[in-house]
Amino acid sequence: MALPLKYNVRNVLVRWRTTLFTVLGIGAVVLVFLGLRALARGIESTNANTGDPQNLLVVRKGSQAESGSLVTRDQFRTLRDLPGIARNEQGEPVVSAEIVMIVSAPRREGNGEANTLIRGITPRGMELRPQVALVEGRWFRPGQREVVVSTRMARRFAGFELGGTIKAGPDRLTVVGHFDGQGSAFDSEAWMDADEARAVFDREQYSSVLLRPADPLTVSNLIARIDSDKRLALRAESEVGYYSKQTMTATPINYLAGILGTAMSVGAVFAAMNTMYASVGARTREIGTLRVLGYSRRSIVLCFLIEGALLSLLGGILGCLSAWLIQVGLTTFNVTFGTLDFQSFAETVFQFRVTPDLMVMGLLFSLFIGLAGSFLPALRAARLPVISALKSL
Amino acid sequence: MNLPTFVLKNALRNRRRALLTIISVAISCGLLVTLLTLQRELTIPPESEAASLRIIARNKVSLAQPLPAKQLAVIDRIPGIVAVTPFTFFGGNFRDETVTSFAQFAVDPKRFQGLLVEGKIVDGSYEAFIADRNSCLVGADTMKRYGLKIGDKMRFTGTFFPVDLDLKILAVFQGTVDDRGVFFHHKLLDELNGDPGTVGTWYMRVESAEVSNEVIARVNAAFENTSSEVRAETERAFQMGFVSMLGNVKMLVMLISGAVVFTLMLVTISTMSMAIRERFRELAVLKALGFQRRELFAFILAESFGLAVVGAVVGIGGAWALWTNLDLQSLTNGFLLYFEVTPRIMAWGAAVAAVMGLVSAIPPAVETARMSVTEGLKTLD
Repeated sequence: MALPLKYNVRNVLVRWRTTLFTVLGIGAVVLVFLGLRALARGIESTNANTGDPQNLLVVRKGSQAESGSLVTRDQFRTLRDLPGIARNEQGEPVVSAEIVMIVSAPRREGNGEANTLIRGITPRGMELRPQVALVEGRWFRPGQREVVVSTRMARRFAGFELGGTIKAGPDRLTVVGHFDGQGSAFDSEAWMDADEARAVFDREQYSSVLLRPADPLTVSNLIARIDSDKRLALRAESEVGYYSKQTMTATPINYLAGILGTAMSVGAVFAAMNTMYASVGARTREIGTLRVLGYSRRSIVLCFLIEGALLSLLGGILGCLSAWLIQVGLTTFNVTFGTLDFQSFAETVFQFRVTPDLMVMGLLFSLFIGLAGSFLPALRAARLPVISALKSL
Repeated sequence: MNLPTFVLKNALRNRRRALLTIISVAISCGLLVTLLTLQRELTIPPESEAASLRIIARNKVSLAQPLPAKQLAVIDRIPGIVAVTPFTFFGGNFRDETVTSFAQFAVDPKRFQGLLVEGKIVDGSYEAFIADRNSCLVGADTMKRYGLKIGDKMRFTGTFFPVDLDLKILAVFQGTVDDRGVFFHHKLLDELNGDPGTVGTWYMRVESAEVSNEVIARVNAAFENTSSEVRAETERAFQMGFVSMLGNVKMLVMLISGAVVFTLMLVTISTMSMAIRERFRELAVLKALGFQRRELFAFILAESFGLAVVGAVVGIGGAWALWTNLDLQSLTNGFLLYFEVTPRIMAWGAAVAAVMGLVSAIPPAVETARMSVTEGLKTLD
């Protein structure tokens, strides 16, 4: 027969002084683990949230990111005339040849500079990215040195406010509008006219081509066609697939979360073990009494395991709650994080994201700490000889 | 029986608890030291005396934008510069690797010799490298990591440039801050790319540290208002620029360190309170025998401080031994280069542990001081 759960709950509460520290400790471990995973999740979800499943992105074979890719004008012409590409009402192929440039800009807080990504884009390219919407000012005019930046970038970099200027060598680009990319990777970009960008940055070639296939059923044919064309030496991939692979930046953070989480959880297991041993030691007589009353060894083990789990779950809930509160605070004050994206070589802006599955992971993590920490003490409690346990003070 | 033996016996009478406390303090201290080392590694790039004499000039727009090769003639005439070479990051993937695990640079071999001051040629000859356009100069660490020898071929797939390289190793260097790089002829890169007339950056060495600021100003001024303005800075400032690009990393590591210290504090405080509460009766007996509060506090303090210090020694020593003996460079693909646990960092770890030992003695000591003897004698828990 198992002991009533109420017994465990009351025991945890009556010893609140010892349990409080253990609960806080486990909470801190869960918070660190969750916090790091939330940052990595922010980067991953930004990329997962980018692109239109109907679009194809074409880059040079062998290049891992748009910023390292080159598409010549000849290649672009060949590509544009391939069969199987959608056409708009005017009969023009829905193809956008774009250039991606890296421009170093000063941070707003005044601590150094970071690379920003400027995309030279065409009207077709803007139609192909319905995620992006203008929220302030106006779009750039073709043939003008004008640029529209994301609101998130505007908060991070000096001179990105409306009417501000971005210095690109001897030229200056005027910021005429702000757009919002709805949490996509475009939130880390600034857009300007493609031809103007080629003139400003003195670039003959394009970086990438975004296109819309005419028929969703023949997409694989089109991809194979581009892939096998020796003249092109280009590679086509669904836009969504391309962005979902740009998660290299999240990998080190995930590693750090794993290593730190493991190391800290070992420490927490020992701390929990300490608490549970003390709890067993203090209740020796009580345990003896329970045994005399007829509770089996198994129910004593179960009782202490439940108590350890309860203790650690309290810590887990505390950790999850504080991570969630941090997220609420960051969202309220519009705080975003930014780091160098190793693939695009420009700053990527992302949010702290505690998702429900991460919270579940945090709770399971705390549960594991509690069970691992209470296992040995529980065994000890069950093995106490009844008579001497009853005699002990 | 004197005070030290009394404290020692008390600390060790529950050996299991003493061990668990020491281990949890040790893990926290080891983590703290590791985090501080990580932060140092990320924020203070390796520096050497010669590095302060080296200057890198890049396009003012960004590092990704090339510079015209014809700028060399202008830089050559700037006084104070001892040597200058084109310096273009190739960013190729070695063999079948999918990431660029070490850097390759296109340089002018003759001019580059004047910049490789600390590096000594340990195998092959620099002259052979100069003479053969398809050859390369390789760092000793890379040679060792891949088990390469002189005469071997190195194949790179370009990720930034649409060309591949096939280079023959003719010289090996050692003794620089980072012995991993591969250097090859800029002429070869130009040839493969159809002579675009551009370079990535200019890499130069100045006469002395005193003139370096002057030279930087001269280089910047020389190209002002041209189509390719440059930004010249010392090699160190250039590296710090990368750190600035990493963004909020420094803050992040500090926050995590804070959480680790917090956990460490909780663990020690909770253990000490448990240890003392367990002996409330004994402490009451001691009080009844005439021991003063001060003396009781000394017992408690000595025990918690002792446990914290032993934990710190184990943890910090363990972290030091681990990071000193582990070949992190090859384990992390060169991401972590030195990961040196400095005495300063170890001192920080020890100081935090010592403070924890002191702080965690306070709550139980206050409790003991407050209790009345009769009450203490009655305690069962």
